[in-house]
Amino acid sequence: MGQEREEYIVEMRHITKRFPGIVANDDVTIQARQGEIYALLGENGAGKSTLMSMLYGMYEPDHGEIYIRGQKVNFRSASDAADANIGMVHQHFKLVENFTVAENITLGIEPMKKGLGIFPYVDLSEASRKIAEMSKSYGLEVDPKAVISDLGVSIRQRVEIMKMLYRQAEILIFDEPTAILTPQEVEYLLKSLEELRKGGKTVILITHKIEEIKKVADRCAILRRGKLIDVLDVRTTSTQEMANLMVGRTVALQTDKSEAKFGDPVLVVKDLSVRNEDKVQVVKDVSFTIRAGEVFAVAGVSGNGQVELADAIAGLVKTEKGSVTLLGKDITNDAIRDRVEEGITYIPEDRQKFGVFLDFNLRSNLALRRYYKEPFSHKGILNFDESQQYAERLIGEYDIRSGQGAKTSLRSMSGGNQQKAIVAREIEQHSPLIIFVQPTRGLDMGAIENIHKQILQERDRGAAILLISLELDEVMGLADTIGVIYNGQLLKIADAGTLSSQEIGRYMMGVTDNE
Amino acid sequence: MTYINSLITDGLAFALPLFIMAVGGIYSEKSGVTNLAVEGFQGFGAFIGALIATILSLKSGLGGQTIIYIAIAAAFVGGAVYAMLHALLCIYFDADQVISGVVINILGLALTTFLTSQINGVLFGNASNKFVLETSYRFSVPGLSSIPIIGAIFTKVYPFEILILVLGVFFWYLMYKTRYGMRLRACGENPQAVDAAGGNVYKIRFISVMISGGLSGIGGMCIAYSLLVQYSPNIYLGYGYLAIAAMIFGNWNIIPTFFVCIFFGLAKAGGNQLCLVMQLSSLYTNLFMIIPYVLTLVMMIFFSKRNHPPKAAGQPYDKGQR
Amino acid sequence: MNKESSRRGGPRAALARFLTNERWTQITVPIFCIILTLIVSAVVLLVLGKKPGTAFYSFLAGNGFLQKANYGSGSGMISDFFSFLNIMAPMLLAALAFIFGYRCGLFNIGISGQMLLSGYVATVFIGYSELPGAVARPLVLIVGIIVGGLAGAFIGFLKYRFNIHEVVSTIMVNYIISYVTAFRINLKYIDMISRSSKTISSAARLTFTKVQIAGCNCNIPLGIIIAILAAILVHFVFEKTVFGFELRAVGSNRNAALYTGVNVGKQMISAMMISGMLAGLAGVTYYLGYTNTIIPRELVSMGYDSIATALLGNNSPIGAIFSSVLITIFQNGASYMSSAVGVAKEIASVITGILLLFSACGGYFRRLAANYLRKLADEEEEAKKAAAAMAAEKGGEDK
Repeated sequence: MGQEREEYIVEMRHITKRFPGIVANDDVTIQARQGEIYALLGENGAGKSTLMSMLYGMYEPDHGEIYIRGQKVNFRSASDAADANIGMVHQHFKLVENFTVAENITLGIEPMKKGLGIFPYVDLSEASRKIAEMSKSYGLEVDPKAVISDLGVSIRQRVEIMKMLYRQAEILIFDEPTAILTPQEVEYLLKSLEELRKGGKTVILITHKIEEIKKVADRCAILRRGKLIDVLDVRTTSTQEMANLMVGRTVALQTDKSEAKFGDPVLVVKDLSVRNEDKVQVVKDVSFTIRAGEVFAVAGVSGNGQVELADAIAGLVKTEKGSVTLLGKDITNDAIRDRVEEGITYIPEDRQKFGVFLDFNLRSNLALRRYYKEPFSHKGILNFDESQQYAERLIGEYDIRSGQGAKTSLRSMSGGNQQKAIVAREIEQHSPLIIFVQPTRGLDMGAIENIHKQILQERDRGAAILLISLELDEVMGLADTIGVIYNGQLLKIADAGTLSSQEIGRYMMGVTDNE
Repeated sequence: MTYINSLITDGLAFALPLFIMAVGGIYSEKSGVTNLAVEGFQGFGAFIGALIATILSLKSGLGGQTIIYIAIAAAFVGGAVYAMLHALLCIYFDADQVISGVVINILGLALTTFLTSQINGVLFGNASNKFVLETSYRFSVPGLSSIPIIGAIFTKVYPFEILILVLGVFFWYLMYKTRYGMRLRACGENPQAVDAAGGNVYKIRFISVMISGGLSGIGGMCIAYSLLVQYSPNIYLGYGYLAIAAMIFGNWNIIPTFFVCIFFGLAKAGGNQLCLVMQLSSLYTNLFMIIPYVLTLVMMIFFSKRNHPPKAAGQPYDKGQR
Repeated sequence: MNKESSRRGGPRAALARFLTNERWTQITVPIFCIILTLIVSAVVLLVLGKKPGTAFYSFLAGNGFLQKANYGSGSGMISDFFSFLNIMAPMLLAALAFIFGYRCGLFNIGISGQMLLSGYVATVFIGYSELPGAVARPLVLIVGIIVGGLAGAFIGFLKYRFNIHEVVSTIMVNYIISYVTAFRINLKYIDMISRSSKTISSAARLTFTKVQIAGCNCNIPLGIIIAILAAILVHFVFEKTVFGFELRAVGSNRNAALYTGVNVGKQMISAMMISGMLAGLAGVTYYLGYTNTIIPRELVSMGYDSIATALLGNNSPIGAIFSSVLITIFQNGASYMSSAVGVAKEIASVITGILLLFSACGGYFRRLAANYLRKLADEEEEAKKAAAAMAAEKGGEDK
């Protein structure tokens, strides 16, 4: 028995973890060998991150045991896991933005010196040297003195990796590391993972992207709704097979799309510039046109001004210069509500921050675009019967699942159903222009498919669609026209069919035609 | 000339207690706990300090000056202990941090007023609502104090002013140079980062709020000695809120906050001196008393937009959330 | 089956269900907080060597709800009760003022300042005039509303235009108001004997004094009617109108309100203005009703106590009616309780403070209860599963 165990550097046996109202992991067992890339494949909410959070000491399992190098361990905190040479790169980086790279890397194991022989103080000079050396040897260059807020996402990710290496981690967990990267950066990262494997490190890769697993992983465990479905040898399993196991039914990997029928221009954006709160210009001289019946998708790495662009068109932020014209009318300086009335609908990126009121019930949330108008209110007095009927209709038509119908508070609904409610509410406006920002973020396959279908339906109805997405697959699958945004500028606008994902990736990194 | 001298002398005597309270505020907010409770902390701390001082001068043979130092130490402890309530509410009970601050202030006033009269009843047989304190001695630095104008800085100095300066340097060092300080600042920006690095966010915040209470307590005690020469409900004059305003102008950094407090101190003393210079009746002091508050509002108008409060301040940390 | 399982779990589970009951949680949590407060206060009183029962009885008797041991001439339960209403009126209005701001996400800590300013202006312009009651009283109310409204709108404007946190600005304005009014009163309107402002004409006073009812001299407050009407009106605005919906939207999620197309700045200023108006009403019912004079430089503690009242009433205007009854019983009954039991009357403020402390944790109690219930449900589920598995195993063995 003991010998058998030692073969595995990580072994999690019969892990069960419950959260109030949900079983996140149900009797899951996984085993990883030293020096392999072990992938955890599953949809959002399948329990991958929870499982790894337990390996990293952030939660304790309700049942089950964890063995590291054959030794049973009982992690109570992340530092226990770090002591066992485990490191993790989380999906949301755990970096302090106003700290330097070196400060972030040493946080928690700060090197101390004594001033005048008695006053202890944190001394980063030697650590900085060590970081610079290590970053060179792994090909992960970072400047130890740079402040995080000045760095882009892929560099920030490097800092997270350096954080693990600096702590001499042997078991490296990556939670969805490629979600925020350009295709080229993904390539680079996957190479780094192979580099790490060569160095004898064990890599556990959490992802829902099968191609990545195909490229680098040795073995792959598939999780579905908290349960372990299977553990596969990646080389001998087909992509389709993995997809089917992950979702639990046969899935179409392609969205069917009818031929586009373009009408007149609906939205004309001209030389639009936007400054953010810190007075930095985040959108620079952007111009484009969207016609009726067209899906115009903006591709780009997160934080390149795409959200601000959408916000400016919807009126949530002020424009610095340039103009926005909707159906021939200049709306550059119109109030938000006027734009809604004139025909803009907006599905925002952060649904809980912008799209819904978590404290309000479903009925009120569904009526957000109409409550102030007849017949939803009369002379300033709300008419609840009307909004109740309206809510009931939408709940039925859009299959919004909630515990107590229209009375349910939004807070108690799942993320997917919250998104359904937003999409239902906005699509019901039947606006000439619909803006979708990251409409499928955090949703499972079924819901994603559904929303993609709705987007195309609206397009076929004759709406102009502005789609902003970080998922290149989504952009490629839905767009009629693609614009690539980099550093606030639309570097390239082209018909969807004429660009390969590699080309888009290059523009996403700021490489222009004349270079 | 004498007006300018007393402007500086009085200004500093007010500015420094305000400064140490503001440092208290900074400790709490930089760790991620919004702190409107400075007012309550300073009052409660001063209450404990004054209580100890009263008991000691009654029952022990200690000299007046020794008692002052003990009282200041007691105020630190009292403020820190009372601050645990705010820490508990904000960190473990997820109460709204602004509400909690207001609650702490109301309860502080009520508790100390009640206890003062209750204890006075026991000690002296009359339920007075104040503890009379001994006058603190003040010193002038020979030589330096005779330099024109600047000399006022070294004239009639309260010993606590020196203590506050020393504490200010120490707590600056603690925040910017030590391991604890680095983690504290990280807690106010991204507590998840601290957690992932193996730090205990709850503990760091709890300690920071306690330090906040302790420093505020010292500030309150010093004001009781200098401005009031007694402890009474008058200690709740709103200086805790003024300290918070100073912290905001100082952009949550200790050194700029120091200069803001000096400015406030001079403004307040300036109002009093102006009243004297113009030889107005004492009725007009009320009018000049508004100067620091009006200045606060005016400065807020100019500085509020550019401020960067600690990102995580005001949000309870939930370990389970990712 | 379902019903049966929901009854299981003993007293702890029953308490948890009591607190989390969807329909009644608005009421059950405050009741729980009140009970906790009474327990803690009783312990404090016991420690001081006093009888809690007598103390609580005296609190009620001091407000005319129960019989006092003896009455002076011209006073009785009825006059005590009217004086209770007299002080409850501004308390309720002040609580409504806080609620109106809070539901829109704004903390109006400046209620006492707004009360003082409107009380001062009404006193000077109407209270000292020769106007007959039929003109003076409505004018007092109007002045109170306008002055309070302006003071509130100023705070809202500072917040909207300059991003000044309302807690800091209201505190600053409080002190400015208290010093400036003190200066003016001392200069022009001071009564040298009482050291407070000269009393106002009885025609302008919102309380009818010395009205004979059942042999008692009663002070009958107009304010209580205004306060109750205001509570109902505020309730209506929040629950039934587009305006109230937008205010709540801003308070619930400012970003989403902006996204919805609500004019956030305008609604914030309006909320603060109306909050100030209610505070202004509280001010005139206090200074030109309950009292008829202003003590210079004194900011009434009611401005803060009203926060306790609002919190205890779950920030609902109707809830505030009940919570202001309770808090006023403590505050107003303190003197009689003090003389009857022999504890400093400041204990009333301590009790209010404790009540506030527990109320601030109300959300936590509710969550705690909900988590406990969920844990029970999970355990039950697991037990059922285990039982089913065991049964299946047994069944297998039997074969």
